[in-house]
Amino acid sequence: MASVSNLTDSLAKYLSSPADERSAALRTLLGEVRQAIAAGRADDAAGVLQRAVLPSSDYTAFQSLHRVYGMLRAHLRPAQTTRLAVLGGFTTTQLAQAIELAMFAMGAGVEMFEAEYGVYRQEIFDPASELYRFGPKTIFLATSWRDLIRRPGLDCSREDVERCVEAELSDWLALWRTAHERLGCQILQNNFDRPDWRQLDNHELRHPASLSRYINRLNEEMADRAPPYVVIHDVDALAATSGRRAWGDPRFFFHAKMPCAPEYLIDYAFSVASLVAAPLGLAKKCLVLDLDNTCWGGVIGDDGMGGIRLGQGDAEGEAFQAFQRYAKALKERGVLLAVCSKNEEPIAKEVFEKHPEMVLRLDDISCFMANWTDKAANLREIARQLNIGVNSLVFVDDNPAERALVRQLAPEVAVPEIPEDPAAFIQAIEPFRYFQLTSLGQEDLRRAEYYRANLERQQALSGSENVEDYLKSLRMVARVEPIGEVSLERSVQLINKSNQFNVTTRRRTAAEVLAIVADPCWATWTVSLRDRFGDNGLISVILARIDGDALVVDTWLMSCRVLKRGVETLVCNHLCEFAARRGLKRVRGEYIPTPKNDLVKELFPSLGFAKVLEEGDGHAWWELAITPDWAPRPVTIEEQ
Amino acid sequence: MQDVRQETQDVFREVFDDSELILSETMTAEDVPGWDSLTHINLVVAVEKHFRIKFATAEISRMKQKGQNVGTLLALIQKKIQRTG
Repeated sequence: MASVSNLTDSLAKYLSSPADERSAALRTLLGEVRQAIAAGRADDAAGVLQRAVLPSSDYTAFQSLHRVYGMLRAHLRPAQTTRLAVLGGFTTTQLAQAIELAMFAMGAGVEMFEAEYGVYRQEIFDPASELYRFGPKTIFLATSWRDLIRRPGLDCSREDVERCVEAELSDWLALWRTAHERLGCQILQNNFDRPDWRQLDNHELRHPASLSRYINRLNEEMADRAPPYVVIHDVDALAATSGRRAWGDPRFFFHAKMPCAPEYLIDYAFSVASLVAAPLGLAKKCLVLDLDNTCWGGVIGDDGMGGIRLGQGDAEGEAFQAFQRYAKALKERGVLLAVCSKNEEPIAKEVFEKHPEMVLRLDDISCFMANWTDKAANLREIARQLNIGVNSLVFVDDNPAERALVRQLAPEVAVPEIPEDPAAFIQAIEPFRYFQLTSLGQEDLRRAEYYRANLERQQALSGSENVEDYLKSLRMVARVEPIGEVSLERSVQLINKSNQFNVTTRRRTAAEVLAIVADPCWATWTVSLRDRFGDNGLISVILARIDGDALVVDTWLMSCRVLKRGVETLVCNHLCEFAARRGLKRVRGEYIPTPKNDLVKELFPSLGFAKVLEEGDGHAWWELAITPDWAPRPVTIEEQ
Repeated sequence: MQDVRQETQDVFREVFDDSELILSETMTAEDVPGWDSLTHINLVVAVEKHFRIKFATAEISRMKQKGQNVGTLLALIQKKIQRTG
């Protein structure tokens, strides 16, 4: 019988096996996973299988993995599940299976509906179709360049081409709108891949009516004009990254109407799955880096500043520097960086402060852990200090033993297998799409700054006499307003990723939030907060619905970086004020316990709400009566 | 030829998830449970990958047609390996 250690040993062997031993290693691993399932140890089996699903798996391996996944499916209880309809212009059978498996690897369950190929228009336009019976949260429109309705002739003028783009686009817009209006769902729309042949060869670049130019224009317009409920999936980039000639193997289109060579379906599926998983709050938030032989060549404690290989003058040193540049680029778009290294802290930090070839500097690192404690414990501490989940971390370490230890002791952490060669690190990490995003806002660009300002606030707090003085000294100014066009993206982002300060943890798509904003029975609030240390941006979202004589708080969440600053009270004042103005008699709050939101268990009573009902599982309802003499509670936040 | 048969058998076992499958020259698609048009693609991909060969579009169609059997597939693989090797 396969024990846990057999399973983890086989997993380690599989992950590190060279290409020609891969399939044998997988066979052994899957044999043991099957035994574990048969022995009733589904959780162990699932944990190992999850890590065995890799974007670099070949097509045959994926089939085998999916088969074993099928045996497990009934035993799984994923924290997040979603409903996905796959409507294809090509055969989606294999792609849909691969998406399901990639979603499993990312920690989400998915219920799927797959239409016959080529009938996506009928499915959407016919209100009696299977699609509407299924009721998806997201529709994936799996199309390719072969689904273009129009193509300009070579004799078309520039204006003709633009008209063609407009006409093509309006057909797709109508399709999206219909599905959205009827289902309130999100739409994931493929853009158009350019084929691997070119009618005009190099001149495609210059002729306005060439197919490449036309597809480019269309993709651009689609990206610019997609409404908030549509996410455009960049299939053209998938083809380009893999190489169009290899990607587009047409034998499989002629035989089975497959969109690309089967080997590339896995990468394709990871790309799609990451876009479905990210709005569920499953995208990673922090890249945690080892130092020696990960950020530079050599061991700083032994080799010293002059001995480590980094930067110009040494090819491998340049590769380490390029990897740092990659990490820095991620930081610039809002991914937090942390260090987790076995080192003496002052020696490790000195490199960041003084080495001239370092790209990463101390102020790029939101949490620096250099010590001799085991790395699993350090990773948990990093998550705690940054106020994010352990499952939001990606850990990159060149040492296979450290990787294996973390996989075993901190199973929530994503630990990509990386090769010894630093020049290949980026390519090993990228295909996982850990940090996938469907929008990019000011908050993302300034995230590291927020964390730095928070550190300064903590220092100010330790220098204050009492909390009251400290809060006053922050000179906070809040802007409270309903969700609007500008704040929609950020609000949806928070709704889908806040875990701790979140009373009901109801996830909603942009489409669903838009519907709430438009509904007169609902009211929404967002709070943006700044103080003398900086701007915190939009940090709280509340959705409430009028039900009889009560204002029912359906959603109330807040970024943990502004905890205990009085924003909770400010929000409560706004809710009560709204209820009073509408002549309502009470504000009703709901608390749905999750493994992560213990923080707000006592939120409502702390604001004067009384418990009206509690179920056995801790799910509770609270009410605050709005009396004629109601008055707001004092806060140290000024309103703009 | 023995090696090709043995290795192809391993590929079949993987693709059709049957660890006891024994390949014989006279077998046809109808004799192998689960060998449909979908798994046919899986088989083609797995064989191509394993032997580092490439089948032509028409060869992929032919493998499953009447009058063809595992023997003709093995011969085709053998021919392609010699050409590339």
